[in-house]
Amino acid sequence: MIPIKYNVRSLFARRATTLMTVLSIAFVVLVYVGVLALAGGLRTAFAASGDPQTVLVLRDGARSETESGFASETLRLLSNLPQVARDAEGNLLASGETLHLQVLQRLDGTEANVSIRGVEEGAFHLRPQIEIVEGRRFEPGTGEIIVGANLPSRYPALSLDGRVQLGRTPFQVVGVFESGGGAYASEIWGDVRDLGDAFRRPNYYSSTRLRAASRSDVSALIDAIESDQRLRLEALPEPEYYEQQTEASAAVFIYLGNGLAILMAFGACFAAANTMYAQVSVRRKEIGTLRALGFKRRSILAAFVLEAVVLGLLAGGLGALLALPLNGFETGTVNNLTFSEITFGLRTTPGILLGGVLLATATAVIGGLPPAISASRQKITDLLRQA
Amino acid sequence: MTRLVWRNLMRNKRRTILTIGSVAIAIFLLTLLAAVLQAMTEVEDPTGASRLVARNRISLTFQLPEAYGQRLASIPDVEAVTPLDWFQGRYKDDRPENFFPRFSSDPETLLQAFPEFVLPPEQLEAWQADRAGFIAGASLAEAQGWELGDTITIEGDIYPVDLELTLRGIFRAPDSPSQERALYFQDRYLEEAMDNPGIVGLYWLLLDDPEAVPQVIQQAEAMFENSPAQLRVETQEAFVLSFVQMLGNVRFLFGSIGLAIVVSILLITANTMAMAARERTSEVAVLRTLGFRKGQVVTMVVLEAVAVGLVGGALGVLLANLAFGALQPALEASGFVFQALAADAGRAAAAVAVGLLIGLVAGLVPAWNAARLRIVDGLRQVA
Repeated sequence: MIPIKYNVRSLFARRATTLMTVLSIAFVVLVYVGVLALAGGLRTAFAASGDPQTVLVLRDGARSETESGFASETLRLLSNLPQVARDAEGNLLASGETLHLQVLQRLDGTEANVSIRGVEEGAFHLRPQIEIVEGRRFEPGTGEIIVGANLPSRYPALSLDGRVQLGRTPFQVVGVFESGGGAYASEIWGDVRDLGDAFRRPNYYSSTRLRAASRSDVSALIDAIESDQRLRLEALPEPEYYEQQTEASAAVFIYLGNGLAILMAFGACFAAANTMYAQVSVRRKEIGTLRALGFKRRSILAAFVLEAVVLGLLAGGLGALLALPLNGFETGTVNNLTFSEITFGLRTTPGILLGGVLLATATAVIGGLPPAISASRQKITDLLRQA
Repeated sequence: MTRLVWRNLMRNKRRTILTIGSVAIAIFLLTLLAAVLQAMTEVEDPTGASRLVARNRISLTFQLPEAYGQRLASIPDVEAVTPLDWFQGRYKDDRPENFFPRFSSDPETLLQAFPEFVLPPEQLEAWQADRAGFIAGASLAEAQGWELGDTITIEGDIYPVDLELTLRGIFRAPDSPSQERALYFQDRYLEEAMDNPGIVGLYWLLLDDPEAVPQVIQQAEAMFENSPAQLRVETQEAFVLSFVQMLGNVRFLFGSIGLAIVVSILLITANTMAMAARERTSEVAVLRTLGFRKGQVVTMVVLEAVAVGLVGGALGVLLANLAFGALQPALEASGFVFQALAADAGRAAAAVAVGLLIGLVAGLVPAWNAARLRIVDGLRQVA
């Protein structure tokens, strides 16, 4: 076995070429990680929104809260189910909510659908992660709303103390809330009845959230809801709902990131091949000497493949490093199921970074394999003579 | 001179091909990105910018009273008004090939507002006569293998209703083929299934004169200013673009990806060119001894790189244009691309120019090194 030091040294011996190849592969990794960080950010935001012990109830057939809707009496029937938990004061942990969409103008003059959630007290009990970071909570019946922390910087009308027309009614922003990195930070929250009046949709809920008394009651609760044919409702654990939202919304970026990266990797493969061919061709004499010293063909092949691996790892590491500053970069896209805007920060998750490094390594190895094979196949005499 | 460039390129065929290949892939990707961006942001309106879309001002999830249609039709310069609702729903399964737009509309007015649809008169009559009938675009009908009289079921999601529809007509839209991927069924069928709520999602208005657009928009919005549902009226182009805007800053995303591709490929090409030039240090010295001037040596090295860039660029554009057809269904299934990717001479020229530029820049550094070389040093290196 030829020591790995030999390979690392020889990469350094042709510094300029190695650096250029490493950089070109690193850019492939950068594109891959960058685009997938969009998907990663969406995933992180949605994952932080679901609680496995909370069951979300929608109209049968609806894929999202925007599409769903049922009369408000239904909530009473649901709250009476024995599997629904109560808090310390004996209040039922159930929350009927509405989700309206309204077009609002972004800072740059473009427009997007913003989610406006009508809630009751229960909504806060079910989501302990909601935390007012500025101002205070809204008072029902007074035309007040609170806005998610992602909104004020994107929508000029939605800053603290700002006024905004929702449906037919002017509302005042009295607070800003965080939601533990979750998707709620892209929503406006207000009293369910105030908003029902504003949007002329009184006495209805888009969805209901119920806290199961325990983890083991979750499936019993879902069965109880879905088996009642009169209700025509469907129920699912909250994380499952958000998983669907992620899949629908992140798919564009996952396809885009993978597609681009694979095609770019082909191009970079050629670069790696060129570099490794050059490495082989200037070292014919060395290879011949190594063979003459008794190193086997296999060792030569392994040595050059290893060299390509080092090249790939360097490139992958550099690409991942270049992509790190993207973390936290705030952006927004459409939630493909609710049709509203979700704002999130880019996330280069360890999985994505690892994928990038693997991509770079595969690129370098696939590119480096043909030169490595040709190096190992040559006869000792040819190698020594030609040099 | 050209012969020398040619010989040099052919000396290491493998390297030349690999480099051309990587330039071609880069230009292929750039062309594709540009074409997709264009398909997303430059919306075709076969009526020549004289069609408007009216919707509820709050957002698309709110609807309009049925009675608005007639009042909109009474505005001067409005030639036709048709209701249009996005039914969405699910056909068979969630696979992308089974995702296509399903609209409900009024068979009496749909073709007046969409004059680009070509439907045989007897098929239109058959559709009008069958409340559960539908018409499909020719490319959709072909892709699904539907024939007149076939019955299909579409499961509702936004609307809690399943549709049982019979194909009564197949229309063509020669001026905007992407519209042939949709189906239209009778709005009254949906109304009845929903217990006649008397509401409509969108009204599409065709004007007799594109010049009239601003005043019709103003008049239509003013007409319902004090009504329960206020209107937002905009051109078809603005309406479609609002969907792309929702996806986020697509231009920025595509722009940065494009830049990364160009930089990456520039490095690759420059690297290869430098390698090629380095191997020939002694040759350059010999050429210089033979009386070639510095300028000629520089030109030679640069020409070599430019040739690689040019061939790679042309190849990339060609490949991209071949790939358009294959990519179209996937793009439309994404829900953000509404029209066909099309070859574009200007874009192709720009892409080839990028290839050329990459070659030029990549060739400059090694050319500069070759020119700077002292003849004695070059010759000495041989040993």
